[in-house]
Amino acid sequence: MFGSKIRIDKALLEKAERHAIAAGYSSVVEFITHVLEKEIARLEEAEFEANAAKKLQGLGYIS
Amino acid sequence: MDGLDPAIVERLMQQGRLPNFALLKARGDFKRLATSVPPLSPVAWSNFITGMDPGGHGIFDFIHRDPATVAPYLSTSRVEPPGKTVRLGNWLFPLSGGRVELLRRGKAFWEMLAAKGIPARINGMPANFPPVESAGISLSGMGTPDIQGTYGTFTFYTDAPPEDAEDISGGRIFPVTVADQRVEATLVGPINTFRKQGGSATIDFVVMLDPEQPVAKIVIQDTELLLNQGEWSEWVRVEFPLIPFLKSVSGICRFYLKEVHPDFKLYVTPINLDPEAPALPISTPASYAKDLARAIGLFYTQGMPEDTKALNGHLLDEDEFLAQARTVLAERLAMLEYELKRFRSGLLFFYISSPDPIQHMFWGPIDPDHPAHQRTTGIRYGGAIEAIYREMDRLLGRALAEVDDRMTLIVMSDHGFAPFYRYFNLNTWLKDNGYLALMSGGRRGESSLSQGVDWQRTRAYGLGLNALYLNLLGRERTGIVSPDQKAGLLDEIARKLLRVRDPVTRRPIVFRVYKASEAYAGSEVGSAPDLIVGYNRGYRASSKTALGEIPEGLVGDNTEKWSGDHAMAAELVPGVVFSNRKIKVLDPALTDLTVTILSEFGLQAGEGMRGRRIF
Repeated sequence: MFGSKIRIDKALLEKAERHAIAAGYSSVVEFITHVLEKEIARLEEAEFEANAAKKLQGLGYIS
Repeated sequence: MDGLDPAIVERLMQQGRLPNFALLKARGDFKRLATSVPPLSPVAWSNFITGMDPGGHGIFDFIHRDPATVAPYLSTSRVEPPGKTVRLGNWLFPLSGGRVELLRRGKAFWEMLAAKGIPARINGMPANFPPVESAGISLSGMGTPDIQGTYGTFTFYTDAPPEDAEDISGGRIFPVTVADQRVEATLVGPINTFRKQGGSATIDFVVMLDPEQPVAKIVIQDTELLLNQGEWSEWVRVEFPLIPFLKSVSGICRFYLKEVHPDFKLYVTPINLDPEAPALPISTPASYAKDLARAIGLFYTQGMPEDTKALNGHLLDEDEFLAQARTVLAERLAMLEYELKRFRSGLLFFYISSPDPIQHMFWGPIDPDHPAHQRTTGIRYGGAIEAIYREMDRLLGRALAEVDDRMTLIVMSDHGFAPFYRYFNLNTWLKDNGYLALMSGGRRGESSLSQGVDWQRTRAYGLGLNALYLNLLGRERTGIVSPDQKAGLLDEIARKLLRVRDPVTRRPIVFRVYKASEAYAGSEVGSAPDLIVGYNRGYRASSKTALGEIPEGLVGDNTEKWSGDHAMAAELVPGVVFSNRKIKVLDPALTDLTVTILSEFGLQAGEGMRGRRIF
């Protein structure tokens, strides 16, 4: 409940609020949290795959 | 002898260049040895180790995928980090240990021998990392990682980095500055899981260049090396600090001073696990690796140590690569002498990697039809493959000197070889034929299975060197192919693949397509790729296919120095089997050797083993 505070540009916040309502989120906080979770998961998957590719490229079969 | 090819062996025997192989054939027998589906080393050796096909042992390719995420991973082993840790400041202390797991299923034949009190010494067996626990003595081979957990990542330090330095695979290029004839550099070790913020453990070192002569002094921890240009160092032990004064991990590496002036170039081998203090298990018993090191000196523990990546990336040239490969072979020969002196009874298995990487890298020079062929390298290195076969013949001569009438000798290879002329982008073909769909707005040629694929409209995808999977409902994360659609779809894809023609040469690209349900038997069939693509001679899946990418273009010339391969249809790249006994089976296979070895010691075939006795 009492997480870190971050500042967001007012125009961006208004956009987020509009989209949160349109998409049926219970609050803009829920919407922003979900967006961040998705983006972080995508980045972590990309990082995991970069590491996997790096490991696999030690195989001469893969350049 | 990894990758020994029957056609090459036959030709050289006829030319009188392999007298020991010819002698063995005359006294005993020689036949082609059917390889695995697909004919990749971890699959083939797993067939031999367990006597089962991939449906039994579960190794289907170099690369497997997690059906839930479609993410690729190395097929034969997995390292799991510590489960629970406690944080103290910037440090994480493990409360429960991490572990490394061998992913191959089934019993290794030497476990069965050891259980019956039959001595077994298994030196360098591929696809056996970490080595299975048994009363047998073993050293792990191919699949053993370096200290970074990869299959081998070299480092190259230079003040004249190439333009494509960022794109080099299998290694890292570190640009350095020469200031007052001095270079300050950093050796990168394992990820330091003790640090909260992660990052790798590193060791700083210094190189001092002679201002006029091509000589340099390298100072790293307590070691000082004086190298001439073109000289390799001996093994250097390095200790990567993980927690200052409390915890470190030991590795070994060799330095090669490629150039001093006008440009500085220093190559460092992948940091190998120290056989005297391995950070991961590499032998049974644990003391065996140390015993070997005490007897013959430090040695490459990394699975396939010949640095084909450095040659392919033009960081080492052909002569330098061959020198490094000779070092690998010399270590193996010293180890073989050690084993032969101790072999009294039971089984000795000894693995030699050398023919495989040499044929991978020097097919271009011997084959004028190869896109990578150049007249200059053809003249200079056209004899490299014959040379390694003759080395194998000399090695065989040494072994034959130890063989008497009480012994059975088997010389085997896991697969043969063929030219790799043209690569095939399987996922691009699937996309072009409506089996794989991209998201709208995706950039052409920049998509991969993890980025840009529309899984709601994708029915099939490729990952690994020979594997094709359906996007199966109930198995894949967003599967759409229902079980009752599976058989018909597989037939359709197989038919179409067999009809694909190279737009330039008009040759068929695919020789045979195997269905896992027909090619395999055993408890692991459910994890198998749905189709195994057996490429025609000259063709192989592209590297991008193996990593799940979907590039532009269907087929292209392989102009890399990695010019020979065996990831084709199994029927096209059989291996060899020689013995001092007559082989009564006309078409022996890898799994037959397993049953035969057990039979030699009076043991029945194990559960799930599919082979026959060959004697």
